[in-house]
Amino acid sequence: MKKLQSNILNMALMLTVIAIVAAGLLAWVNNVTSGPIEEINNLAIENGIKSVILGDRDIQFTVDPPVERDGFVFHSVNDMNGNLIGTAVESTDRNGFGGALKVMVGFDPEGVILGYTVLEHSETPGLGAQADDWFRQASAEAKEQSGVADVILGAPGNPGNHNIIGLNPGNNLLTVSKDGGEVDAITASTITSRAFLRSVNAAYKAVFGYTAADGVSGASSQN
Amino acid sequence: MSYFKTIVNGIVKENPTFVLLLGMCPTLATTTSAVNGLGMGVATMFVLICSNTFISLLKNLIPDGVRIPCYIVVIASFVTILQMVMQAYVPDLYKTLGIFIPLIVVNCIILGRAEAFAAKNNVLASVCDGVGIGIGFTLALTLLGFVRELLGNGAVFGYRILPESMNMLVFVLAPGAFITLGLLMAIVNSIKNRKAE
Repeated sequence: MKKLQSNILNMALMLTVIAIVAAGLLAWVNNVTSGPIEEINNLAIENGIKSVILGDRDIQFTVDPPVERDGFVFHSVNDMNGNLIGTAVESTDRNGFGGALKVMVGFDPEGVILGYTVLEHSETPGLGAQADDWFRQASAEAKEQSGVADVILGAPGNPGNHNIIGLNPGNNLLTVSKDGGEVDAITASTITSRAFLRSVNAAYKAVFGYTAADGVSGASSQN
Repeated sequence: MSYFKTIVNGIVKENPTFVLLLGMCPTLATTTSAVNGLGMGVATMFVLICSNTFISLLKNLIPDGVRIPCYIVVIASFVTILQMVMQAYVPDLYKTLGIFIPLIVVNCIILGRAEAFAAKNNVLASVCDGVGIGIGFTLALTLLGFVRELLGNGAVFGYRILPESMNMLVFVLAPGAFITLGLLMAIVNSIKNRKAE
């Protein structure tokens, strides 16, 4: 077949046809994938709630419909008798090292941090991206891994106080030690650490400040 | 040129990263770890094969005057499809690579191969070229990520082998990307020159 000539009619026609076909194809793929994408996002939130509130505990629970307020999203988690176990809060800090940092933090009714998970981030891999593990007790597996390396090369591990689980932002000063707080920042990632702790503090304020201000809190809405 | 030769050509003689020096932006930005490099390479290879195939099929239907916009529409469509499919069916991979996927559109390797190869050759040869260049790109990115992760983070594919105290953070950050790329290119070229002598 001979190549089409570059006159204005051919050019306009072909570009239009290609663009329309591409648009149609994209619309179809979008239609097919939007369902699974939404499902996955919901599942991520659900798993997040479970892990930040319950951790390893295996108990039956129900989650109240999410409440959105001032950019925070609250999920109240109750046991089967309707008693509040804790509240999971989605909180975003816009000033991470690479952009917005979105975390979910779980508080018990007294404000003690039960757990957290990083939902979205664009921090540097290997540095700020460690936030998802850094601020909790090292898992046995991670300890073992660094242990092997330390034994072989005789280098000390990295002790320090960077576990925020079990602390209460109402009583404990949750800022990095460089700023006079109680938490050691991620090595070489102070900006990420600050953003992370800011979002945790903001989440706490959102749950427990809400109580004082309105009389109904995300933390006790079921009563 | 035989099809097998076309594939080998893309991996060795016209390696997009070390020889053609194309697509430097994703190369430098995504290779902070071996897994990221591998993922980016495979994603690029997929788009490259698809775009090469279609552009080769359409080459006689696309008038020369509008070929670049047509190629870009084809490439961008495949990238967007890849992004949506990954998000829906391999969310874990999407989580690590998500922000890099749109970068594939502006990766000049893809437009370069469309223009230099697919627009002049038949479909099968174009697919082979996509496979070859894709593998070459993937290998280069994985190697780069491997070196940077090892030196910067003391780990290989996420498994720590050096203690944290030996990390050289600069290799994970932007300057380390340039240093590693430069050194690797010097090594690859010196091996090639020695062979040529």
